Amino acid sequence: MSSEDESTAMLDRHALVLAFWLPAGFVALGLLHYGFGPGGAWWVAAGFAALLAGFVAHVIVNTVLGTTFTAREAGLGMVLYAIGMVVLVLAVLLGDGFATRFFLPVAGGMIALLLAVVFYMLTRFGTRDAFDKFDIIRNNNPRRASRLIRGGRR
Amino acid sequence: MTPFLTMTLAFLAALSLYLAARAAPAPAAFGDAGAELPGWAVSFAAAGVMVAGMGLGDHLALIGRFGLQASHTALGLILAALTALLLQKRLWLAARIAGLHSPGAALGRYYQSPSLRIVMLTLALLFGLPFAANLLSQLGGLLEEATRGTAPRATAIWVTAFFLFLPAVIGGWRATVLVLALQAVLLAVLLPGIAGFAQALLTGPGFPTVPMPVATSILADQIPGVIQFSAGIGKETVHGGIFTGVGIASTALSLIGIVLSPGFLYLGMTARPGRSTAFTSVWLIAALLTGLLLIAGPLLALRMAQGSSQLAAELSAIEPFAGVGFLLLLIVTTQMAVSLFTTSCAILISSEVILPFILPGLSPVKARLTTRITLAICFAMVAALAAFAPLASAVFGSLALPLAVQMLPALLGLTFLRWISRSAVLVGLVFGGLIVLFTEPLGLILFEGLFIDLPWGRWPLTIHSAAWGLTLNLSAVLLISIFTRSGAERRHQDRLHDEFASTWRVDFGTKPARNAKWSLILIWAFFALGPGAILGNTFFSQPIFTTGDASLGIPSLWAWQLFFWLIGVPLVWWLTYGAQLGTTTDQGLRRVALGDATSAPDWIASSVVRVSARSVEER
Repeated sequence: MSSEDESTAMLDRHALVLAFWLPAGFVALGLLHYGFGPGGAWWVAAGFAALLAGFVAHVIVNTVLGTTFTAREAGLGMVLYAIGMVVLVLAVLLGDGFATRFFLPVAGGMIALLLAVVFYMLTRFGTRDAFDKFDIIRNNNPRRASRLIRGGRR
Repeated sequence: MTPFLTMTLAFLAALSLYLAARAAPAPAAFGDAGAELPGWAVSFAAAGVMVAGMGLGDHLALIGRFGLQASHTALGLILAALTALLLQKRLWLAARIAGLHSPGAALGRYYQSPSLRIVMLTLALLFGLPFAANLLSQLGGLLEEATRGTAPRATAIWVTAFFLFLPAVIGGWRATVLVLALQAVLLAVLLPGIAGFAQALLTGPGFPTVPMPVATSILADQIPGVIQFSAGIGKETVHGGIFTGVGIASTALSLIGIVLSPGFLYLGMTARPGRSTAFTSVWLIAALLTGLLLIAGPLLALRMAQGSSQLAAELSAIEPFAGVGFLLLLIVTTQMAVSLFTTSCAILISSEVILPFILPGLSPVKARLTTRITLAICFAMVAALAAFAPLASAVFGSLALPLAVQMLPALLGLTFLRWISRSAVLVGLVFGGLIVLFTEPLGLILFEGLFIDLPWGRWPLTIHSAAWGLTLNLSAVLLISIFTRSGAERRHQDRLHDEFASTWRVDFGTKPARNAKWSLILIWAFFALGPGAILGNTFFSQPIFTTGDASLGIPSLWAWQLFFWLIGVPLVWWLTYGAQLGTTTDQGLRRVALGDATSAPDWIASSVVRVSARSVEER
């Protein structure tokens, strides 16, 4: 595949991913906004369900096109997740009545997203390779054999 | 709501520009994306354009005015899906086998007829200018109303046209289709989402608990007869509503016009090989869109009794995202139609007229510049028409769909029926076109203004102009083909069909299977869309096999529509996957020569020579 074909294929995939995240994001924001307002806990949970649907659609795109999450997508996802966690902690600590009304749906939603990512990684890469993605000790190991596939292990 | 709506539209525009900037193609691929558009993008874009071509706002307004009889026309999308299925694969193959880059070139070279190229270009202009301008004009009105005058109608039109023009001029055909696909997915999510949200949270019960608030003379949940002997709209008010059995069937037939529009055909011809046509026809158009329109259409239409802006305001009072989402639904569908039809119109004019005949021999970079200038002119004209001549746009635009339907015999000849001759197609087009003209406002206004009042109005006998035209068109084609089906012209046409028959045979199965397929489709069409649909009025509420009434909780006609939708999807699926009609591959393509691609029609060539000779003399 030439570099032009490759960049075209990457753009096509990027557009497809955007096509799914755009409505999923819009619906999720709407549901969360209504949930944190007059709607209540179930609408917040529905907002997280929309985010989960966006993630599932993204995984389906990856499966159909034989790709995986790009570094930018993974980075953006982690940053947004971290911001979500920080906002949750701050809201629980500072928000008046937030913990009693929304802790369960928000924390449940965050855990569900995390579990979805873990489930995806386990099914996509297998237990060992999924763990290797986060194996910081091996990544910093000066031993040359650690650069081999699976750190030189069988 | 205005600031939020503006921000959302600005975000969508920025996203389109981002995609267009990244898609910026090589000069040679600007107008056709190298005929390598990704299948998913073509699928989503095609499905979205089906709804956009129908005019979602118009469809909902019609349901609000005529009730379930108008909603019934959505079943016609299944008919459109079948047509797309039949034509797209063979047209795609013809494009690859014979090097035909556009629908006009395909028909022109297959029939050896410059006139057919001109007809296709005229259709592209009709869709790209007045039809698109009419939709854009409605969009301008909607935005003005929704923002309570903050965005005046004309400003809204020009700004929208400009932001539709930008992705096309930057990223060409590929960017346009990618953006269309993006918008189509948004549409597919918003339509059920907003209908469900409105049903759940707006005060008061909705449809079907409350019947559609139509005028007293209209039957809200019934089809008003098989046919009504009315002189037509504008001459006589039809009792019970205009969507009779044949009214629904003929309106459904007019939806085929979207599939036969040059822009839609061009979209299919520039797709990468794969299963996009199958996916589009079965799952997106027949299953998803038809179902969504049949279910969500009446739910939204009832809530829109006070107008779409009012519903948006009510939704916005509960949740701003819902109000803006509803407006987006209407805005995005309109934008899709304008974007596809106007961009394809500009590209086709550039590639079929300007580049081969007026400015031949341009380098790819200059050819791209020419196409960009054509795009700018077309979008400026659309905006000007929408802003300053909305009535003329509506009158001329009303011809686009029924005239496109008149291309059906020509396209069937190219794809399957080799015995259809050029003269038959041309005579059929003339007759069909004239009938369409005189059963639509333009012909009626012109004739009655210049001469005398005609005894009929628009759509006489409640039959859509597309069906009137096609009936006469097909009759002429069949009759003339009997006398002109052999000869030198036929040998030329046979080259393509021989290649189809030898390498790309469509397998409809054994004789019983073939008969079953076509018989079931005809039976389905008779009961779902044709005169048989009248049974749906009471079939589920007063069953014929018992004396008592059934209480289904929903109108019998709605149940009938959903029932035939559920039957229609497997039918389309059977035809698609059984006969491999929706699958294309570039393996084993053999070149077939179909005459000179760039020879100018005599009258164009002589006109150019005359003008250029005169200018030399003047110097």
